[in-house]
Amino acid sequence: MQAGVVDRAAAQLRTPSLLALVALSAVYAIAVLTAPEDSVQGVIQKILYVHPACAFAAYLGFGLTALAGALYLWRDEEQYDRLALASAEVGVVFCTLVLLTGPIWARGTWGRWWSWDPRLTVTLLLWFIYLAYLLLRSFTEGSSRAARFAAVYGIAGVFAIPLNYFAIDLFGGRAIHPENLGRGSLGAGMGLPFALGMATLLVAFFHLLARRLEIEGLRARSTLAAPEPRRSAARAEGSWPM
Amino acid sequence: MNVLLAVLWKDLISEWRTRDRMVSMLLFSVLVVVVFHFALPADASQLLQTGAAGLLWVAYVFASILGLNRAFALELENEALSGLALAPADRGWIFLGKAAANTLLLFLVQAATALAFALAFDVGLGAVALRFAVVMALGALGLSSVGTLLAAVAVRTRYREVMLPLLLLPLMIPIVLGAVRASAALLEHGVLPTAELRLLVVADVVFLIVSFVLFEYVLDE
Repeated sequence: MQAGVVDRAAAQLRTPSLLALVALSAVYAIAVLTAPEDSVQGVIQKILYVHPACAFAAYLGFGLTALAGALYLWRDEEQYDRLALASAEVGVVFCTLVLLTGPIWARGTWGRWWSWDPRLTVTLLLWFIYLAYLLLRSFTEGSSRAARFAAVYGIAGVFAIPLNYFAIDLFGGRAIHPENLGRGSLGAGMGLPFALGMATLLVAFFHLLARRLEIEGLRARSTLAAPEPRRSAARAEGSWPM
Repeated sequence: MNVLLAVLWKDLISEWRTRDRMVSMLLFSVLVVVVFHFALPADASQLLQTGAAGLLWVAYVFASILGLNRAFALELENEALSGLALAPADRGWIFLGKAAANTLLLFLVQAATALAFALAFDVGLGAVALRFAVVMALGALGLSSVGTLLAAVAVRTRYREVMLPLLLLPLMIPIVLGAVRASAALLEHGVLPTAELRLLVVADVVFLIVSFVLFEYVLDE
C-alpha cells in the first residue's frame, strides 16, 4: 500500500482533532446547559444544538463519498476508495443520529414522531441509499471491483439526492420543516451554542473520519504484507462469482 | 449508434427466442393486480378511482425489478459479459442498447398490465390511452436507465436478486413520483400535467446521462 495524501492527512489530523474535540465538547456542553429555554417549545428545543449539526455532518459525509468515488474512478488510487468508505460510514452514523433526534423533537413540537415532510423524506432516502452503498461493498467480491461498484453507486446516489428533493418538494406533501436558518432567526443567546454545536460535531466528524481511515489503511497494509491472500484463488479478481 | 442498435437487436432476438423474461414479467405484474383485488376492501371503487395510478405503478416497479434482474444474468453465462466488455466500442452505447431493450420490454409489459387492470377494475383508461402511454414510456425509460446501470452492478454481487431493489428503489423515487402523479392527474382530469411531465423528463435525462458515463466503470474488468 502506498501512503497517499489521504492517509497522511488522516494521520496528521488524528491528535489535533481529538484535542479540539475534547476542548470543544466541554465548552459546548456548558453552552447548551446555560442557553435560555425556548419560550414556546421548552427544554426540547435544545435538540436544535445537535440535530441540524448532525444533518450537516451527514450531508458532508455523503458528499465526500461521491467526491472520493469520482477521484477513485479518475485516478485509480486506493486511498480515495478508503476515503469514500470511511466518509460513507461516518455519514451513516450522523444520518442515523439525525433520524433519531428528529422524531424526538417532532414528537415534542409537532405532536407526532414522523411526518412525510420533504426534508425528512429525503434524509430517510439518503440513509437508505448509503446503507445500500455499504451493503453493496460487503456483498461484492474483489476489492477493486467493490471499490468501482461503490464509486459508481455513490456518484449515482449523489445525483439522485437533488432530484429526490426537487420531486418530493414539488409533489411529496406539505413542508413543516423551518426554512433554512437566516441571520437573526435564532433567539437571543441561542447563536453561540448553535455555532459551538456545529463546530463540535464537525470536528467529531473529521476525527471519526481520520480514525476510520487509519483502520482502513492498516487493513490494506496487513493484507499486502500477509503471505496468504484473504480471498481464495477462485474468488480472485477477474473471475465471475456464480 | 450502430453499437446501440446491435445490442438492442441482440437482446430483442434472444428475448424473442425464449420469451422467458417477457412472460415472467407479464405474469408477475398481472398477478400483482390480482393480489390487489384481495388486498383492497370489497367496496373499493372509490379508492380505485383515486389510487389506480399508484397501484399500477407499484406493479410496474416490481415487474421492472424482476426483468432487470434477468437482463444481465443471461450475459454471465459463457462469460458473454466479458465479450461485451471487450467489444471495440464505447461502452456508453452498449449501455444505451441494453437500456433500450429493457425499456421496450417493460413498456410492453406495462401496456398489457394496464389493459388487464382497466378491464378487471373497470377503470377508464381507454379515453386517455395514448397520453397514458406517453407517461408509461417516460417512466419505463427512467426505470430502465438507472435500472440497467444498477443491474449490471447487482448481478455480480452476492444475493444479486436482493441487491438490485435495495440499490434501485431509493434512487427511482423521482420517476415513480412523477409517473404516479401524472397518471393520477390523467385519470382524474383527463389532462397531462406539465410539472409532472417535466419532472419525468428531467429525471430521465439526468439518469440517462449519469448511467451512460458511469457504465464504463461497471464493465471495466
